[in-house]
Amino acid sequence: MFGRLATGTFGVSALAILLTAGLADNANAVPSFARQTGQECIACHVSFPELTPYGRYFKLTGYTIGKTFITSEGFNYVPMAVMAQASVTNTKNNHATDSESGDTIAVNQRNNSAVFSGGSLFLATKVNDYVGGFIQWSYDNLATTADGTLGGHSGLDNTDLRAAGKYSSPGAAEPDLIYGLTLNNNPTVQDPWNSTPAFGFPYTSSPLAQTPAAATQIDGGLGQQVAGVGGYLWWKKMVYGELSFYRTADGAFSVLRAGQDTHTDGGVAAVQNWNNPYWRFALSHDWGPNSAMIGTYGMIVNRYPSNLDTSTATDRYRDIAVDAQYQYITDPHTFTAQATYIDERQSYNASYSAVQETGQGIGAGPTPENPTDTLKTFKLKGTYYYERKYGGTLAYFSTTGSADAGLYGTDAAGNARTPNSTGYIVELDYLPIQNVRLMFQYTGYNKFDGAKNNYDGNGRNASDNNTAFFNVWVAF
Amino acid sequence: MMHIWMGMIGVVLTGAITTAGAQVGTTAADLEHQKAGEQKAVNLCSTCHGPRGISTSPEFPILAAQRRGYLESQLEAFRAKTREEKIAHDFMWGIAGDLDDHMIDSISRYYAAQPPAPGKPGDPTLIAKGRQLFEQGVPDRSIPACATCHGEDAAGVADFPRLAGQHARYVVKQIEYIQSLVRKAPVMHGIVKDMTPAEMQAVAAYVQSK
Repeated sequence: MFGRLATGTFGVSALAILLTAGLADNANAVPSFARQTGQECIACHVSFPELTPYGRYFKLTGYTIGKTFITSEGFNYVPMAVMAQASVTNTKNNHATDSESGDTIAVNQRNNSAVFSGGSLFLATKVNDYVGGFIQWSYDNLATTADGTLGGHSGLDNTDLRAAGKYSSPGAAEPDLIYGLTLNNNPTVQDPWNSTPAFGFPYTSSPLAQTPAAATQIDGGLGQQVAGVGGYLWWKKMVYGELSFYRTADGAFSVLRAGQDTHTDGGVAAVQNWNNPYWRFALSHDWGPNSAMIGTYGMIVNRYPSNLDTSTATDRYRDIAVDAQYQYITDPHTFTAQATYIDERQSYNASYSAVQETGQGIGAGPTPENPTDTLKTFKLKGTYYYERKYGGTLAYFSTTGSADAGLYGTDAAGNARTPNSTGYIVELDYLPIQNVRLMFQYTGYNKFDGAKNNYDGNGRNASDNNTAFFNVWVAF
Repeated sequence: MMHIWMGMIGVVLTGAITTAGAQVGTTAADLEHQKAGEQKAVNLCSTCHGPRGISTSPEFPILAAQRRGYLESQLEAFRAKTREEKIAHDFMWGIAGDLDDHMIDSISRYYAAQPPAPGKPGDPTLIAKGRQLFEQGVPDRSIPACATCHGEDAAGVADFPRLAGQHARYVVKQIEYIQSLVRKAPVMHGIVKDMTPAEMQAVAAYVQSK
């Protein structure tokens, strides 16, 4: 996810130099896949990062269309790209009461201030006719430090390395089968449809705003913390299937979580070794200017309660999701819609049992009070673009789940809270050139972390977190 | 008017010469080139232009049974970046930039040899109007019959492109590009410069139905 920025340190000046170098390039000064293919961004993206049918083909064939960056005749292009964002965030009610001290605190430490949010450096290229990939290194200028202030940190972001091939029967008019392998560090980052979480809407959001606490494992809970290897098949561009297995990104795979806080309890996820299967099945069809997909994906995660103690038993998260996507792509009108529903069943075989047996949980927690819980997420969005320049998006999101005082606390009456949050997003976009997006995004909450009113027990309402976000997003 | 006809004759003669000069033998090298072109068409071009050159999206032209000389000249124009409408710039400059002369020749041969796309039915009134324009032109406004160059059946002649079965939306867009000089085609510009949007829609509906 472009918005996900991991921890570590990185020189802002180095990024600025790279950005300047990119800006100083000629008309082909676009992210490196565009330099590789010689095509414009809109060939693969409705609007970055949402993929067109051609973009999906490019991804599933291993990012291998076009030229390699170096040949015996010399360099063809720079296989790197840079991205940066600057923004202003307004939180509707920026004052909250600290639950421990009772002091009034600022929810958003840079409310109404222009900030440099961060940026990314990409190494993205075709290696040969069968191998390609991208590696994203991100700098977060607004990461929360140990003392609660904001500071700069960096680390490896989304990464997807592929090897792919095609099979065509004699006389075939198009490939009968596309097949490949992926090595990545975020479940669904490898998926070519934008209804799955890693590249799902919102494509970026405020780095400063308060956001709901609960999310499923497959919806960002493991990103940049695990390593996955899998294989996929795409038959007749209609039937897609993938099976992958994930593990903690440690040992030989530790580079895939570079920059993460591995020494603090709760700093990263630790899961069983390769025993976390991820699956994906989708049916897609293109007709006229239309493209549609309906599918399912999911994952079973066997996760240690504490990342610092892998001698314990594990909790089990079973995520099953259904999703759909529709795209109507013409010049000048483009309409796209995505929807997904994720059903997570949490079985606290380790955490709950530990409490029953010893009276305390494992690690930093939070420790559930129930042996099992549920968490369900629904997301729906529709986007219209005119000439790929002027865009508008409406989105709805909902997270609901079982009440659990151990995970979510209790309300004033002593009842266990739920993780329920619902709301909407309105976004307006303007791309003066294809590498620059000026955007306004408004997020409104009907429920936040379990309630519409007084969700924190100190009088704060869900709508107090409504957020206006002005953002400039550039990629060269 | 005379310069338009002279231009047409010139294009036809050029096409005939090109066609004659581009005959290839069946040497091992020729077969290798042809195989490479077919693989490129199957593995890459088909992504947008569809299997055997019959695209589903009207944003991308149908290439099946297109005139070989026309395909060659357009691929060369994309490669030279002299065909400049938006979709050509965004998609085809990059694709064609990697094609050498052998590849352009073999891809063109591949698509020229494919069975044509079947015509699509449409509004009978619009098609009838388009047929009249295609076959008779508009003499009062010096718009010649399209059939003069594109053939009575719209299948194309020499290097004049096949229009039969083509997406109406694509045909209209190309006429608009030529009329506004975004796409540089001097002969066609002279013919379509006074064509109205309604006439474009009609003639496009007719050729799509063929």
